Amino acid sequence: MDTLVRRDVLAAAVAGLAGLFGVPSEPAAAARIRTVEKQIPLKYTYNPATGVTKVRTFRRKKVVVKFAKKWVLEKRGRKWVRIPYVWSPKRKALIYSRALHLALLGKGRPTPSPDPVTDPVGGDDATDPTPPPGPEPPVLSDNPYIPADLSRHVLRRLGYGVSPAGLADVARAGGPAPWIEQQLDPAAIDDGACEAIVARLPDQAEPIWEVREAIRTGEREGWRQLTSVHTGHIMRAAWSRRQLLTVMEEFWANHFNVTVPSDNIDESRAHYQHVIRTHSLGRFDDLLLATSMHPSMLTYLNNRDSDAEHPNENQGRELLELHTVGIDAGYDETDVLDSARILTGLSVDNESGEYEYKPWRHWVGPVRVLDFAHLNPTRTGGEAVVRAYLRYLATHPATARRIALKLARRFVSDNPPDALVNDLASEYLARDTAIAPVLRLLFESAAFRASVGAKTSRPFESMVATMRTLDVGPEESGIDAATSLVWMAESLGQAPFGAPYPTGWPDVAAAWSSTAVTLNRWNTTRNLVSGWWPSELTRPALRDRVLPANLPGTHGEAVDAIATALFGMPLAEEHRAAVLGFVGKTAGATLRSNSALVTWRLAEVVSLMLDSPYHHYR
Amino acid sequence: MNACPECLAADVSRRSLLASLGVLGSTLLVGGGVRVAWADGPWQGDTVVVLSLRGGFDGLSAVVPLGDPDYADLRPTIAVPAPAALQLDSMFGMHPAMTALKAQWDLGRVAVVTATGLPDPNRSHFSAMDEVERAAPGSGIRTGWLDRMLSLHDPSGPFGAVQLGSTTMPMAFAGPYDELGMNRLADFALDGASDAADRARWTSALTGLHDRAGSALKTSASTTLSALETAAELAEYTPTAAYPDTDLGRTLQDVAQLIKSEVGARVITADEGDWDMHADLGRVDGGWMFEKLTDLSGSLAAFLEDLGPAREQVTLITISEFGRRAQENESGGVDHGWGNVMFVAGGNVNPGVHGDWPGLAAGALEDGDLRATTDYRAVLADVLAHRCGADAAAINAVLPGWNGEFLGVTSP
Repeated sequence: MDTLVRRDVLAAAVAGLAGLFGVPSEPAAAARIRTVEKQIPLKYTYNPATGVTKVRTFRRKKVVVKFAKKWVLEKRGRKWVRIPYVWSPKRKALIYSRALHLALLGKGRPTPSPDPVTDPVGGDDATDPTPPPGPEPPVLSDNPYIPADLSRHVLRRLGYGVSPAGLADVARAGGPAPWIEQQLDPAAIDDGACEAIVARLPDQAEPIWEVREAIRTGEREGWRQLTSVHTGHIMRAAWSRRQLLTVMEEFWANHFNVTVPSDNIDESRAHYQHVIRTHSLGRFDDLLLATSMHPSMLTYLNNRDSDAEHPNENQGRELLELHTVGIDAGYDETDVLDSARILTGLSVDNESGEYEYKPWRHWVGPVRVLDFAHLNPTRTGGEAVVRAYLRYLATHPATARRIALKLARRFVSDNPPDALVNDLASEYLARDTAIAPVLRLLFESAAFRASVGAKTSRPFESMVATMRTLDVGPEESGIDAATSLVWMAESLGQAPFGAPYPTGWPDVAAAWSSTAVTLNRWNTTRNLVSGWWPSELTRPALRDRVLPANLPGTHGEAVDAIATALFGMPLAEEHRAAVLGFVGKTAGATLRSNSALVTWRLAEVVSLMLDSPYHHYR
Repeated sequence: MNACPECLAADVSRRSLLASLGVLGSTLLVGGGVRVAWADGPWQGDTVVVLSLRGGFDGLSAVVPLGDPDYADLRPTIAVPAPAALQLDSMFGMHPAMTALKAQWDLGRVAVVTATGLPDPNRSHFSAMDEVERAAPGSGIRTGWLDRMLSLHDPSGPFGAVQLGSTTMPMAFAGPYDELGMNRLADFALDGASDAADRARWTSALTGLHDRAGSALKTSASTTLSALETAAELAEYTPTAAYPDTDLGRTLQDVAQLIKSEVGARVITADEGDWDMHADLGRVDGGWMFEKLTDLSGSLAAFLEDLGPAREQVTLITISEFGRRAQENESGGVDHGWGNVMFVAGGNVNPGVHGDWPGLAAGALEDGDLRATTDYRAVLADVLAHRCGADAAAINAVLPGWNGEFLGVTSP
């Protein structure tokens, strides 16, 4: 139990009162925004005579705060609220001040009594609300094409690319740090606009038996139901403000891959996606249980047909190899067999399509997998053994390390530093497999901030990033165009959740640098920029998106303007020359409103620039 | 799938790529752990063309067991009557829609393997396709057999392994080798760069823009640009045979063009779907099956004819995920089954009907299905051994666990 005794609050209260009377309500321009720990008191005493707050126990919470001159302001939704906390350099956290709190409550009322100002007591933990909590690691890029810009970095890495709306979101949040904090709490993000678009598709939360009935009666087509998983994901990737949640949903759906399409999952696959989304920023052990016991997984990896006499090893093996500890964890074929035996009985009700535990199929007898051992004495107790087994696997250090590595590979680099992976694995275990704290640690790490431009966009990410940078919006109504985007992703070789094997899609650049991928990517860019197909998607005129209303005077300046609109900075000198060469102009050539560069060649030029390494990275 | 040749030397090693694909500890044992003599030196073998008949091809309709006493009774409305069939031998005849392919048969360019399939029945489309194309049953190997075969040799440029008719790669191509997928050969072009001058403009600008990129990205851009140039330079193609005006006809025409252009194609895959005939398969003289077989036969025949002398270095195999139930169902169709027919065609096949016929008697069927008495991998091994020069180690690397008999479908 943490205990905190302080004598410092009066000084803070003095500062607070000064702020109360002297500081404008808007934070100063020089305000520093940070994600810090706030120690919220549980048991504490306050002596009004001395102004001393003694906190005996407290709980910790991460908050986004702004250090203004006199006050600390906390981000709550879209508002910045003054809080009665001060920065303690010693504890590296915000600590509560009752005196300050009284002063705050007294705003607009009579001065609180007793007036702490008249009774100053010095503290040993002198505080000043202005200093920031420790130096932050630098934002670095080794990539000559990608600027060390944290806002763009987080939009590319935690989301599906930079868009005008995304940049506005980050700015509105108060910068990258508070934006990340918002992303880690997606329920608090207003995403009504995107959800309204997604609502054009069947509700993924709809019970499986209802979907099955709708397909059985012919009211709904099975393949459409299945494709809606793709379509919904593309909509969210492109248009949701909950970018990180969508990235994590894809991450976990890939980790627990149930290939779309595959046999006999028409009625359950959308619900599976819903379950994954629900747990994407929750706890891994919950996620593991939810996916392992879901009809989609049980069907895809054949466990629904497994029984005591003939245990089907497919899911029992993949559970170890892919979903948890990994192939190097030191298990052998007898472990695999016991893993399969433990899972016997987890099945699907053939009538409803819903999950069903079938005790008569459960293998009974002692089982051992790695260090998990159970007498497993009864058929009816089998499901409880499964739960215990899955929780054991979720908290296994090898699982922690694999998840940590996979996250670091997703968010930092193809070969992430060991130290980072170790830190993430420790945090994962210390937080009982909670995912958000691991991500928070990752995003605050020096490695993350120094990895700008280190990840390559895979084909699907590249397609969505192009849509986002061009500000392409959904069609007015219906889902035809969105469904066409599914085919587009498929022809790019990476339909989401379409990896035709249980491993999911790889996330290293080398897997995606082939000739086919390169050409498809270039042609898809050209298609999206030109708006050829699907043409129903809404978008600003290309010229309005990439050029100012008052055109620059020269071709060189126009190329700079386009690059800045797309990439946040002009091209390097020789790259500008390459683009100018492409349109056969010199940098100084006068630009007119009917020049090819800003009229019929504009789509070509924008495509060319988006085909370049400036738009290649995530 | 999609790994580039240059990545083998790039920052991310082949090993880490394999690890990321989850194939470490499996393929490396066969692909990298064992030194395979066949792997050294350039490719000496045929261009192998794999035509996948997706959806479950009804081999019993295509190569009909006319002499089997139970055949006609099992299929009261859809059977091919013996007089209508194109007799192959005393037991089998081709469907009458297949006259074009029968003519190729008569020229000795076609072999048939009957009662072949996966070692154990698998009646799910996707999972059976995976099994067939992984061709490594009972192992954790996650790569495809064609990719394993290709990976044993040095890459031969972007056209070394091509999927035509679709940009979605087959499971057989899963793995580190860099295969190329395209709908049509003519589609392999940069949209909007229609003539040589345009291509030069794009090439120069894209090259300039990539000058500071890392070696892997730079190489994939330059490889792509040169492949585009190669494709653009392929001469206007005039086939020497008339292909049906169908997707399959057009695809196989592209396959022939690619082979005859000598751009280094070792493996070409193509798909022909729509074989999942649960209902209304049709009758001997018309309907769904009749039309599909007419197309298949005509396209294959045109392809074999069009190849001309190049046929001597080409072997084509057809594969389907499963055969279909021996007995016709209530809807005049056939449900998912097991044993099936494979066609092997080219300049060096041993013509004739191969395989052991288990019969269609009730006691001979497996849950109502024709048994697969020939593991389909025996056909692949035959082609590898006789037409691609693979030794035992190489065959074991490509088809791990297979140690059956060679059928002699092709000649060495």
